[in-house]
Amino acid sequence: MSTSRSEPAPPVAALYFDGLSARAHAVTLTLDGATLHLNGADVSRSDALERVRLSEPMGQAARLISYADGAHAEVRDHAALARLLQDSGHRDHAFVRWAFDPRMVFAMFAGLLLAGWFAWQVGLPWAARMAAPRVPDEVVSAMSTQALGWLDNRVLTASTLSVQRRQTLRSAFDALAAGEGSAPRHSLQFRHGGRMRANAFALPDGTIIVTDELVDLAGDDDEVLAVLMHELGHVRARHGVRMLLQGSATALFMAWYLGDVSSLLATAPTALIQSGYSRSMESEADDFAARALVAQGRSPELLVSMLEKLARAHGESGDDGEGYLDWLSSHPDTGERIARLRAREFAVH
Amino acid sequence: MNNPFESSHVPQPEGNPFASAGALPQTEVLVFSGRGAEYFGIWIVNLVLTVLTLGIYSAWAKVRRMQYFYRHTTLAGAAFDYHGDPRAILKGRIIGFILLLAYNASFQFSLIAGLVVVTLLAIVMPALLMRSFRFRARNTSWRGLRFGFGGDSRGAYGVFLMWPALTLFSLYLLGPMWHQRLKRYQFDNARYGATAFSINAPVSAFYRVYGVAVAVFLLGGLAIGAFVWSLARGNPSAWIAGPFLFLALMLFIQPYLSARLQNLVWNSMRLGPHRFVSRVSARRLYAIMLTNLIGVVCTLGLFQPFAAIRLARYRLESVTMVCDGSLDDFVAGQSQDVAAIGEETADLFDVDIAL
Ligand SMILES: [Zn+2]
Repeated sequence: MSTSRSEPAPPVAALYFDGLSARAHAVTLTLDGATLHLNGADVSRSDALERVRLSEPMGQAARLISYADGAHAEVRDHAALARLLQDSGHRDHAFVRWAFDPRMVFAMFAGLLLAGWFAWQVGLPWAARMAAPRVPDEVVSAMSTQALGWLDNRVLTASTLSVQRRQTLRSAFDALAAGEGSAPRHSLQFRHGGRMRANAFALPDGTIIVTDELVDLAGDDDEVLAVLMHELGHVRARHGVRMLLQGSATALFMAWYLGDVSSLLATAPTALIQSGYSRSMESEADDFAARALVAQGRSPELLVSMLEKLARAHGESGDDGEGYLDWLSSHPDTGERIARLRAREFAVH
Repeated sequence: MNNPFESSHVPQPEGNPFASAGALPQTEVLVFSGRGAEYFGIWIVNLVLTVLTLGIYSAWAKVRRMQYFYRHTTLAGAAFDYHGDPRAILKGRIIGFILLLAYNASFQFSLIAGLVVVTLLAIVMPALLMRSFRFRARNTSWRGLRFGFGGDSRGAYGVFLMWPALTLFSLYLLGPMWHQRLKRYQFDNARYGATAFSINAPVSAFYRVYGVAVAVFLLGGLAIGAFVWSLARGNPSAWIAGPFLFLALMLFIQPYLSARLQNLVWNSMRLGPHRFVSRVSARRLYAIMLTNLIGVVCTLGLFQPFAAIRLARYRLESVTMVCDGSLDDFVAGQSQDVAAIGEETADLFDVDIAL
């Protein structure tokens, strides 16, 4: 305790309540060493400072000095109380210093944003990767059937490719996939793309859909197969399930967050934030396709040429993608993906 | 030193001179001194710590929040205070979480399991809610005296089990009556120190308030339906406007209900010889709630603490206490010492369900 004070702090006005009746006693508080003296017209008491509890400062609100016997005093002259306590070594709780310091509040806020961003960018994908193998197959196939039904109702129509053409592609794909040792369960389906135009995508349950437009766009079947191997790469790494989990978790969080903001907004349907595969998922699928092609004595250039054609086909019409499917959504990165495919050597294992 | 609330005693100018021979009735207004910018700090630190502790800190956060609002509420020169024990609140929240989880999971399991859990909930919930009322009352104080709640479990099963069931079976026709019974249970059993609260709000008043709300809803709904239908004949995509207009209608009705119910409850409440006057204007409340909602949406929730302060200030400062006699005359009830010692806090729950 410092002893540098020149004169004792002036008494602090307070209201005292004995805890037995609502009667208010106007009193003054003084500090003598470690003893707090309370004096009024018909009440007086002296207590060791360490035996009383002082409430946190909360702006203009009264500070409460609580005694062990249930009595308390309310102080509204904050400056006077601060002078009185100056020499007592009293220090406010850390929370109070944080909550009322603008710099600390700003730091907390920045930290919150950073933590949120980190959870979304790193935590959520990690959790989805861990959880993906544990999602029951029934759930995955039910979700996939639902998604395909949704697309069939709105965007896709029956394929106009000849049965023979489809059969050729299907058996070539099966042969290629079978060469990949532990190829996961998969099935190939053809559709007319309509608004989706030249496109191919994999559903979480292993259903791979390729549009007539993509088959027409390709120079030959080998290029189509290169694209299909890329899709098989997504299926194999369960990217679809992971995106599904991330999307559901995000939707759940949004519902909770908006629900907190206003129960009214929560009742409005929350749009599921649907984003394409992440860049690392695309690279993983590209690597898988390139390795499979090399293993079968084909060239990864097939995939490169297909990427270029798709980028041109979607780019020329000036559409920046509807964002929900594989080849469309990934097209801004096409240059990067091509460079990556060409830079790496895909050794035969 | 002058006594701060000596000066705030404002004699009521239009008091009936024949009302009481002795002292004139005096009015004391509730004063709220919370500030949005100040509460923002508490709110953000609470939020960060709650996130970092995966929700565990939320119990401590609640105590801080309650203390901020209570201590900034002043009546006759003295502040209210909140004494809730965060550990009891945490326990209540864990129990609530488990009940919710059991409820959601049981029906996935089997119908029988679901029915068993629902039955258990029906038995447990009224008792929990009763304890929650008791917890909140007992942990509120003003001028050093605690509030209290003496409702029994018989009453709790009535208002939390029987009346909800009757309301459901009557297709909500008995809803206003349930609300009246609930308020009666809540306030007829409440006390400040040793002085009892009482409420005398007739059922008809509740039916009037709800009746107006339902009428506005039906008329507004019809108008919206007709409007959207006439638009949609020319342009089918106009149907989309329907849900938004309904949302706007609900936004319009909610402040009305909340204002009229607050006035109804407070204007018919007494504390010993004293009574209360609440003058919440539905129009003012509507303006506050609408601007709050716009602010919260535009700032992605950051306006929330400011919104809470604005709403609390208006609702609290609309209430006046009309005192018959001195406020110094209240004395502690016999349970005062129990609350102070915290003997029973070990089995107290705060399920935090707003009614
Ligand atoms: Zn891909």
